[in-house]
Amino acid sequence: MARRAIWSGSISFGLVNIPVKMYPAVREHEIRFNLLHDQDKARLRRKMVSEATGREVHPEHIVKGYQFAKNQYVIVQKDEFESCAPERSKAIEITDFVDLADIDPVYYEKPYYLAPQSASAGKPYRLLVAAMERSGKVGVAKMVMHEKEHLVALRPIGNALCLEMMKFADEVLGVDEVQGVPSGATKIPDRELKAAVQLVESLSTKFDPEKYHDEYRDCVMKLIRQKAKGEEIHVQPVVAEKKAGRATDLMAALEASLAAAKGAKSNGANGHHRRRRKSA
Amino acid sequence: MRATTTTTTTAKKAKKASPSPAGGANAGAIKFGSTEVKLSNLNKVLYPKAGFTKGEMIAYYLGVADYILPHLKGRKLTRKRYPDGVGKIFFFEKNCPSYHPDWVATSRAPSSDGGDGPNYCVVENKATLAWLANLAAIELHTLLSKGEDVTRPTYMVFDLDPGAPANMLDCIRVGFRLKEMLAGFGLDCFAKTSGGKGLHLYVPLNTPVTFDQTKGFSNAVARVLEKDDPASVISSMKKELRKGKVFVDWSQNDDHKTTCCAYSLRARERPTVSTPVTWDELKSAAKRKDPAALVFEAADVLKRVKKHGDLFAPVLKLKQKLPAL
Repeated sequence: MARRAIWSGSISFGLVNIPVKMYPAVREHEIRFNLLHDQDKARLRRKMVSEATGREVHPEHIVKGYQFAKNQYVIVQKDEFESCAPERSKAIEITDFVDLADIDPVYYEKPYYLAPQSASAGKPYRLLVAAMERSGKVGVAKMVMHEKEHLVALRPIGNALCLEMMKFADEVLGVDEVQGVPSGATKIPDRELKAAVQLVESLSTKFDPEKYHDEYRDCVMKLIRQKAKGEEIHVQPVVAEKKAGRATDLMAALEASLAAAKGAKSNGANGHHRRRRKSA
Repeated sequence: MRATTTTTTTAKKAKKASPSPAGGANAGAIKFGSTEVKLSNLNKVLYPKAGFTKGEMIAYYLGVADYILPHLKGRKLTRKRYPDGVGKIFFFEKNCPSYHPDWVATSRAPSSDGGDGPNYCVVENKATLAWLANLAAIELHTLLSKGEDVTRPTYMVFDLDPGAPANMLDCIRVGFRLKEMLAGFGLDCFAKTSGGKGLHLYVPLNTPVTFDQTKGFSNAVARVLEKDDPASVISSMKKELRKGKVFVDWSQNDDHKTTCCAYSLRARERPTVSTPVTWDELKSAAKRKDPAALVFEAADVLKRVKKHGDLFAPVLKLKQKLPAL
């Protein structure tokens, strides 16, 4: 894979240890825009501003507060977070193997691919893929990435291992927390159910992901390309021009300083004849 | 599962890299307190024209460590790595590689949209310096900011880059003019060679200032220098316009730009170093029309720091305020 690995570590289960690299399995789909000022098309930047004073607050003065009651905060400092941070580990530790069907898709967050780090890791890697294929099981593991602990599932896709980042159980809301869902005891006439099943069956087919496109995205990208081709391109203004008034004052002051320096010493290391020779 | 024999454990890897008869003098390890840094391929030639090896490069960086470390500490670092030596493939590396040892400090920068930017390495100690040198990180480039706040530079820089046939002597001339102009505002500045053909001027600030301010100021300085002497100074990036002129590059005064650190080696034909110099040295080189007097290689620099100490120390200490205009 030509893409760059975003993480490396090793899968461990039992006594087996497979050094692997991790690659994203999905590419960025969202179209990213920068925010510009409609007048001069300059890039806009976010600033952190105090609600109390309206003044900008620089990062060294920003701390994290947890609102435990209205308008009442507990401050947690950086080193205090570190006391909770999981130990830096490079292991994806498989603790259980479960049936793929046992994991409800609602737990899946983001997929990645794993590849062996070296030729020597290829064999145990292949062994794990083959064992999971034959048993129809997927591995459940924990790992630490970006100072956070993650629950992951390892499953084979083709000859490769896919690592699915998963949600922890307490992140997933129960369906009983959704209002208005009718209970299973709600009576429906048998005749209507039969008709509905028939309709479902008539629309049944094989899942073909290629069939579906994000038409909104395609349309926006087409628009962008057309505009770029038609040279409807707005160039960022130069910083100094952005503050023309100030810059002019500054330039005048600098010019005065340079003139004063020249007047003060006409000797110096700078031979004027050199300059004349060059411009000739 | 009977896979116990087909594993590559980290413990096994560690053993391989320690000083062992198998590695010979080509590999080894060096200890800094309790931290051990494994070194490999020490005989690999990184500068073929000079026969300068990776081992010599590590020795240089450790020899100059007391002088370069203050300039690296707390600063996010981009490395220019040449795994096969100069003149071969190289890459700029911002992210600290995932395999970095635990004792290598890292610092994440925010991206321009407020998300997570690269997680840089930060050189806080000799061990990290040795580890990077062992990765063939020839050039060390730091952000102009220090610590977590990437919006505030501690100095302002001008990179004077001559477009042939202009040369170092032209840079010195423009450099003096720039120095005098800044002196009119009570600002002192310090020079180092680029390690190539040009000159880098640093204006220490070490007071609260933002890149918006240094960028605006440095841009105005460059434009005034150009206006004053359009035949020999240019303030715009365009390469084709640079011929025979000194390009006063002000654009490095930016929160995501890096500049070559003082005492960093450069990846040129010979192991030249970006070397702090005195204004007297610049004056005398200009007088004698001797640009070669300002070319310093690794061995020269080790002698110079013994004699002069760190000529760039004021860049980290001197507190100066940009005039509010």
